[in-house]
Amino acid sequence: MKKKRKFTIKSKHLIVGMTIFCIGLIIITLSSPFVTDPIRNAAGFVIRPFQNGINTVGNWLTDKQSGFKSVEDLSDENKTLQAKIDELTTQNNELVQNQYELDRLQELYNLDKEYSEYNKVAAQIISKDPGNWYNVFVINRGSDDGLAVDMNVIAGSGLVGIVTEVGANWATVRSIIDDESNVSSMIATTSDTCIVTGDLTLIDQGMINFSQLTDKDNVVQEGDKLVTSNVSEKFLTGILIGYINQVTTDSNNLTKSGTLTPAVDFKHLREVLVITDLKQQKTE
Amino acid sequence: MKRKILDCLMILICFILQTTLFKSLAFASIAPNILLIYTVSMGFMQGKKEGLLVGFFSGLLIDVFYGDLFGFYALIYMYMGYFSGFFCKIYFDEDIKVPMLLVAGNDLLYSFFVYFTRFMLRGRINLLSYFQSVIMPELVYTVLITIILYRIFYAINHRLQEKEMKGKRSSWLRG
Repeated sequence: MKKKRKFTIKSKHLIVGMTIFCIGLIIITLSSPFVTDPIRNAAGFVIRPFQNGINTVGNWLTDKQSGFKSVEDLSDENKTLQAKIDELTTQNNELVQNQYELDRLQELYNLDKEYSEYNKVAAQIISKDPGNWYNVFVINRGSDDGLAVDMNVIAGSGLVGIVTEVGANWATVRSIIDDESNVSSMIATTSDTCIVTGDLTLIDQGMINFSQLTDKDNVVQEGDKLVTSNVSEKFLTGILIGYINQVTTDSNNLTKSGTLTPAVDFKHLREVLVITDLKQQKTE
Repeated sequence: MKRKILDCLMILICFILQTTLFKSLAFASIAPNILLIYTVSMGFMQGKKEGLLVGFFSGLLIDVFYGDLFGFYALIYMYMGYFSGFFCKIYFDEDIKVPMLLVAGNDLLYSFFVYFTRFMLRGRINLLSYFQSVIMPELVYTVLITIILYRIFYAINHRLQEKEMKGKRSSWLRG
């Protein structure tokens, strides 16, 4: 009986009904975005382990791909890297000395090291957004490991993104190169604030945009460090975002904008660290 | 029944592969859209209704895991499956040109739809650069992958159809 009835539904009617259903869903989620959380959570339990497993295959393939680099390239790279190591060693020595000085001065001033000691959780990226329009990925840690929405995600020394959704064993992270991402940031040296925005058209060149930089004295140059600003609501202060590539004055002659290179290599990102301290908690 | 289970399985496999394996095989940070290929092939091989349903569930899966608007991708994919179903009449064994054209057309429409609803409305009006950096590479990559994947989908479908036919015939004989 049931089968017979199903056969009588015409595809015309079905598509009209389903369209109404979909639009209804869109409207519901627009008005209250958290209705769908239980569904997402339940589905996550089923799919995430598979993604985790298959992703290892994908990573293995990427390894193979990069293994095809020619020997000449590698030896060239080796030389430049060696030079860089020398450079960094000298720099490091200087920094170590500075650190001693800083420690001493901090002791003198009784400053607590608020920003250097965040609690972190390591996580692996298990899957990425299926389309090419967004740069959102999923990590294999969730609320079971103490993660919550709005936690900052870093890799190495730079900012990767922010947690936008959390399930029991997974969390979604929107990276700062995503087109919808906006990060309030500042120039490390001058503390001038600006907004860092992802741009889909620049991703392939490995760059992101910044805008609304007020720099009256014209001191900001290429190569300057950009860090997260102290006025940001969600991002902890002083996390490195990247280095300025190019600065141009806007047509209003008041603000500047340009591009920067993120400190993180987003193309080869696999492991990330989630800072489990929230900015809102810190300030409270 | 068998077909439904198989469809569910195939959608799941495509989704998992698309979010993991194919993302790490991406060229210039562009990955092919396998779920689109599956939806279009099913619509093309099975008709409007099948395409519509496969598209709906593929899109729903994306919505559940990645969409912020529930039903957005379900809607797009559903219509892609439905429209491919119109070409079911000219479905012909092993012909690969029509599905390739269909995939190309659908991918183009899909990209433009996403661009207009999610990007242009946010003030990203530079269509040409989006076209160059995202829409075109995705189109080319997806169509190339279609050449391989369509044959696989076709083989699976063909085998299933043969079995269904056999089942029908034998029950006929028995009756």
